[in-house]
Amino acid sequence: MSESKTTVDVASADAVTMAPPPKLVWETPKIEDVSEQVMAQPYIRFT
Amino acid sequence: MTYAIDSLRAPLLVTWQLTRDCDLCCLHCCTDSAPGKRLRDELDADEAMRVVRGMVDVGVPYVMLCGGEPLVVPHFMDVAEALGSAGIQLKIETNGQRLDARLVERLARLPIRSIQVSLDGDTQAVYERQRPGASLAKAHAACRAIRDAQLPLEITFAPSKLNLHEASAVIERARSLGAFRFNTGRLMRVGTAARTWGKLAPSKEQYRAFRAELALQERVLEPAMQFCYLPFSIEDGLRAALEQPPATLLVLPNGWVKVAAAIPEICADLRRETFVDAWRAYREAWRCGPVRAAIRAAIEDESLHGRANAWQVLQVIQV
Repeated sequence: MSESKTTVDVASADAVTMAPPPKLVWETPKIEDVSEQVMAQPYIRFT
Repeated sequence: MTYAIDSLRAPLLVTWQLTRDCDLCCLHCCTDSAPGKRLRDELDADEAMRVVRGMVDVGVPYVMLCGGEPLVVPHFMDVAEALGSAGIQLKIETNGQRLDARLVERLARLPIRSIQVSLDGDTQAVYERQRPGASLAKAHAACRAIRDAQLPLEITFAPSKLNLHEASAVIERARSLGAFRFNTGRLMRVGTAARTWGKLAPSKEQYRAFRAELALQERVLEPAMQFCYLPFSIEDGLRAALEQPPATLLVLPNGWVKVAAAIPEICADLRRETFVDAWRAYREAWRCGPVRAAIRAAIEDESLHGRANAWQVLQVIQV
């Protein structure tokens, strides 16, 4: 396991692939919002 | 483009790897875990409780505690109880080697959505080939203790050349143990698995047969037991994530926050930043050109996943 530093300037045209989002109303997530698939957590398998 | 994550004050799920340490040294491990592999800079109990408070304050609804093996962490129960007493729903991932009735009794007081036990074989010989030194009897006993306490049991199966011939038996075992979900997918070429890939990786034909078996068993056993195996591969998951990044935060044992499991980029450090700032950094990372390029590269070339644990800190410059 190692660490290296990568500097990314999000203001540069090369670094940004899309415009920032419009201002949205923030919602506090509820457990009902968590889908069965997210519940199962398929993003990191097999520790 | 607007992402769904931009409208959320907090992630839906935080996956928290409490430690890299483990009491087993599994050949397929995606986190490079093994005995003595605790990182020197892992969060201590006080720091972990500060992270807990951050999650509670921002309103995270669901946290998965994993590792390594989370049960080897001395402050595991303190973290679980602090999260649970604040109403955060929990999933615990364990190898089941040290989950006894006493511990299950404490966990049963918490809002547990799932306790996931790894069963990577249905005979001791096959199970132990993939999980050297592990006891299948202990894992089964842990599963029975979970069910005896009326807690939700989930089984995960890491497919490999070593164990695929026992996949059907493990599914049947999961059903007979009373599991509510069977969780699997393509083996991840990350961590220890990247180094043992030649020994473990199933062939295309083996995967084809496995998926056919999963589809068949799903038709027979659902809804009594759910099947979760999609997205089947990391690449499928990353492709979907580029379109709509998942509202999930992956916290490493030292408090760093990873953008996605299969790439090395780190977007925040919970030792130095608040949870709110870490969530903001994660959302920004998905708009960051180099991160998106790394994800596209990982979709194109599976061998790059082997670098995912050589973490790289992104320093996103605000203007």
